Amino acid sequence: MKTIQVQLDVNGRSYHLSTIAARTLLDVLREDLGLTGAKDACGGEGECGACTVLMDGAPVNSCMVLIGQADGHQIETIEGLSQNGQPHPIQKAFVEAGAVQCGYCTPGAVIASKALLDRVPRPDDDQIREALAGNLCRCTGYSKILAAVHIAAEEIHHDR
Amino acid sequence: MTAELQIIGKSAPRKDSWAKVTGTAQYTADIPLKGLCYGTLVRSPHHHARIRWIDTSEARSLPGVEAVLTSQDVPGSKTFGPFVQDQPVLAIDEVHHQGEPVVLVVAKSKAAARQAAECVQVEYEPLPAVFDPVEALQPGQPRVHPEGNLLSSYEVSFNDVFAGFAQADVIVEEEFSVQRISPAYMEPENSLARWNLDDSLTVWVSSQKPFEDRKAIAEVLGLPLEKIQVIGAVIGGAFGGREDSSIAILTALAAWAIRGSVQIANTRQESFVAHPKRHPARLHLKVGARQDGTLLALQVIVHMNTGAFASYGPAVGQLLTEVMPGPYRIPNTYIQTNVVYTHSPYAGAMRGFGSPQAHFAMESCMDLLAERLGMDPLELRRKNILKPGDQVSTRVGVDEGARSLVHYLDAMQEARERFRKIPPSAGKVNGVGLALAIQTMGLGAKVPDDSSHRLEWLPDGQILIHLGAPDLGQGLATVSEQFVAEALGLPFEALVTAPIDTNTSPDGGVTCASRMTYLVGNAMLLAAERLKRGLLEKAASMLKLPEGQLAYDRGAVILPDGKRVPASEFASRAADEGDPICAEAMATFPYPEETTPQHLPIGMPHVKFGFAGQIVRVEVDPELGTVEVKDVLSLHDVGRVINRAALEGQIEGGVAMGIGYALYEDVAMKSNQRWVDSFTEYLLPTARDMPDHIEIQVLEIPEESGPYGAKGVAEISLVPTAPAIANAVYDAVKIRVKDLPITAEKLIRMLR
Amino acid sequence: MFDFEYYRPESIDELCEVFNRTKGSLVAGGTDVLPSLRRGQFSSASLIDISRLKELRFIRESGGKIEIGALTTHADLVTSPLLQQTAPSLVQAAATIGCPQTRQRGTLGGNLANASPAADSAPPLLTLAAELHLAGAGMARSMSLSDFFMGPGETCLKAGEYIRSVTFDRPFGRWGAAFEKLGKRNGMAIAIASAAAYLEIGDDGRLQNARLALGSVAPTPVLSPHAKACLEAKSPSPELFQQAGQAALEDIYPISDVRASAEYRQHIVPVLIRRTLEKAFKQAESRLE
Repeated sequence: MKTIQVQLDVNGRSYHLSTIAARTLLDVLREDLGLTGAKDACGGEGECGACTVLMDGAPVNSCMVLIGQADGHQIETIEGLSQNGQPHPIQKAFVEAGAVQCGYCTPGAVIASKALLDRVPRPDDDQIREALAGNLCRCTGYSKILAAVHIAAEEIHHDR
Repeated sequence: MTAELQIIGKSAPRKDSWAKVTGTAQYTADIPLKGLCYGTLVRSPHHHARIRWIDTSEARSLPGVEAVLTSQDVPGSKTFGPFVQDQPVLAIDEVHHQGEPVVLVVAKSKAAARQAAECVQVEYEPLPAVFDPVEALQPGQPRVHPEGNLLSSYEVSFNDVFAGFAQADVIVEEEFSVQRISPAYMEPENSLARWNLDDSLTVWVSSQKPFEDRKAIAEVLGLPLEKIQVIGAVIGGAFGGREDSSIAILTALAAWAIRGSVQIANTRQESFVAHPKRHPARLHLKVGARQDGTLLALQVIVHMNTGAFASYGPAVGQLLTEVMPGPYRIPNTYIQTNVVYTHSPYAGAMRGFGSPQAHFAMESCMDLLAERLGMDPLELRRKNILKPGDQVSTRVGVDEGARSLVHYLDAMQEARERFRKIPPSAGKVNGVGLALAIQTMGLGAKVPDDSSHRLEWLPDGQILIHLGAPDLGQGLATVSEQFVAEALGLPFEALVTAPIDTNTSPDGGVTCASRMTYLVGNAMLLAAERLKRGLLEKAASMLKLPEGQLAYDRGAVILPDGKRVPASEFASRAADEGDPICAEAMATFPYPEETTPQHLPIGMPHVKFGFAGQIVRVEVDPELGTVEVKDVLSLHDVGRVINRAALEGQIEGGVAMGIGYALYEDVAMKSNQRWVDSFTEYLLPTARDMPDHIEIQVLEIPEESGPYGAKGVAEISLVPTAPAIANAVYDAVKIRVKDLPITAEKLIRMLR
Repeated sequence: MFDFEYYRPESIDELCEVFNRTKGSLVAGGTDVLPSLRRGQFSSASLIDISRLKELRFIRESGGKIEIGALTTHADLVTSPLLQQTAPSLVQAAATIGCPQTRQRGTLGGNLANASPAADSAPPLLTLAAELHLAGAGMARSMSLSDFFMGPGETCLKAGEYIRSVTFDRPFGRWGAAFEKLGKRNGMAIAIASAAAYLEIGDDGRLQNARLALGSVAPTPVLSPHAKACLEAKSPSPELFQQAGQAALEDIYPISDVRASAEYRQHIVPVLIRRTLEKAFKQAESRLE
């Protein structure tokens, strides 16, 4: 079949789509759902992480997920992180730590950080570097991104 | 500035960060336009070839295809370029590098465009190609352009090198080579263009020079400037690579051709081959010194590989020539830089602009010289560093900022002790190395080097900044807001910066050359003064009071009786009357009339300098040859810190780029005769490849002519890194790698 | 071109049916297939997405054999307590593949079927004497993993055949299994060369059942019979491990590619082998009977 019907749960909303199967989750998020937070920075080779979203809570490169493979799954994108207009602690931390320069890698890095903090409440530097090894950044040298993740971990943990 | 500063020096969080961190920031590819068509390019597979014929008939006939364009369809100027107009919009009768655009297909969908592109037939006659800049100057080599392969050549002489060498006790002569670097910003180049009903054109592009893009588009389409509007979208990193109008021109051409809306987005692969790079170069150095370490003479011949088109090659060549001697007092110098065409991906502006290349060679050479002299490389530098008032090779004097160099050496001396005491990881060997750097600021003498910006008092009392030059993501808008907030005594939140739009923004020039904080700051301060006066004028006229009886204080007009009336009162009235309170100001880089008795070309010399130093600790695995950078101390004089977090961010990012330059990155030719063109092969440092700590020390030696004493630091942060790493590797395993990148394989080959 | 018919079987039977009918290409995690399609390195009229076949995603033990289903992701391998216990070299290897995002999607079966000479999961499995279990319409067969790879990107999978699972015997006694990989950088590194070692310390204190395998230095991942011969029944020592490293040079056929030259690979292979053997030996020593 060249086209398929899919059902996606994106940021808590259910979408039904009919689409060409030879497309990726990234294509559909950006072009069909208008969720342009996830980016294409490497041409779909899975080498940059700018398209990172959570699929059933796990970080994936959406450029490498065929839309048929996303069918029926829960997708969380950067647009879904804020709750009721309140930014997620990770988003706040990125801004306050000065971890956002050009911002192109930011949605992917924030999502990858969330995936880490969901599993590891108080990661050390090595764990953060490992979790973000798939998110390339050309502007920041990663220093303030690491700082942001620590700040966010503290904030989230503190609230618990 | 004796009063305490409110916002200058603080790490004010950037306002654009919120949109970026929530995924709502609109980069060019995110902008929704109705009825958008897509353009895709057919590019040359050959490095050098004649085009025999192009057959677009099949492509044209495919459903959804709106236009298939070649050079013949370009209505105006068929070539463009900032210095030499040698870059074809679409290839004319010859292709000069692999990846040069030949045919532009425009279709209703990306898939249709790609399919049609595959049906375009181009008959090439491959021609011999040359890729090395020294070779390209030999007789009988294939020509990239009819005028020959030497694009430009610069010579700067200071006294008499022959005499200098004659007096030298020790002479070191070495050859260095540096590789081709891609700016590799995360957002690949792309542009959107829309033909409007009134026969005007609106173009969105992530660009460092929207006003220049507009000029270029006007020439290519043969349209008057007023008919073209260029809007700067949010930029996903630039680093000099977006000082290039090619994508905006192509998109504009496509939109013009179909009288509709078109988007063209380079893939990452296209970005690697078809967009400007940092110049690879070969540098031949000869340095002479007395036994006590006093530098006497420096002679350098440089061959820069500018690739297929000139782009900013001439300017890069000039800057390289100027900074080649490093931050040292050398009584006799001769620097010759040749900018050479080859059939390689073209090089242009890229962060550092000749300085990274020059300093890799010079700072490696200083350590080589130190060893020959039996001197501590730090002491050799101490003996020769510039002091305020010393002249550089262009006979321009350096100012108080040069005092920072002594501080750097002292700090690095202390750090070296510290770094040497750190036990290396199991099986590894420690190495510590350092380097100094000098960077110029501004565009150079006799080049219009000014920047205009405008402030507007909004009815609600906020200030709208019409920033005339783009924020590249480095925080230019934020520091602008800080300058204005400080000057007007307003809270930081009261400032808002408008996106750049050639229809409404003043022409701030190109964001480049480490000049923006300086120029923007000065323009903002001047404009703020004018704005205050404008407010008082308006208030006086409204209140029918003499202006002299009114005063301004922190967003309010003070009446004679001491009452505070918020500015919004007057600003809203002015806006109602259709004459908002505005002030525009232009800041210029101060070039003296006569800077040097030597006849130098336009663009030389530069007169403002920044200095930096870095010391690094590396760990080398002597069995595998791998090098890891573990600790970095980076030292800078910035005149005045405007935004601490933004400054650190620039420096940390610069160090990352410097590490990539030193160890990993290279747009090289592969064995299949194709260029490296993906992130699988072009290796950027990941989070796991960075040092555990980057320590930053900042000196504030005020730049007298700078806003609050500030000056630029954007580029210099990556300049000392590669030579410091090379010197550290030598310290570790006594191997001197003279061609970048320093790969494990090179180390092992030399160790054996 | 990124253009294909897409099938998504929900059961093994459906898979076999569509596989035979369309002769399409399988895709699981997509981390190799999608980039290859995009680059035009291969094209297929049909892609058969097997990611839904839950029955192929498992890690379990029965009768002294560890069995890993083909659709087990690299992330599954890394976090499996059973594998951490019984195949630490495989866990180490899986942890070096790509990055967290790719490890969530990439599968063991995909890594093996893609048959890159640099496939990281192969050297550890070779040293564990792993068996591959293939299935397809109406057929099932098993083979030693060492017989599976034919050349770069080539396996002995027949048309309509797929990998069902991988098995290896649970090691016992004083054994150690280690893996080392050298890339051009720390993050997201493709192997310039990799080495895996498995060994046991016998009652007499000598090495037995030692197996050494290498990645990225031959057309396929390879076992090193020369290294094995060098180690067998010998007393372990740094010199012995050095010799084994040198012996392994006879079993490799490195090429020069964009990552490294053949000479460099030849230089580092003995180093990696020695280090892997040292790690495996230390592990073995620390095990109490």
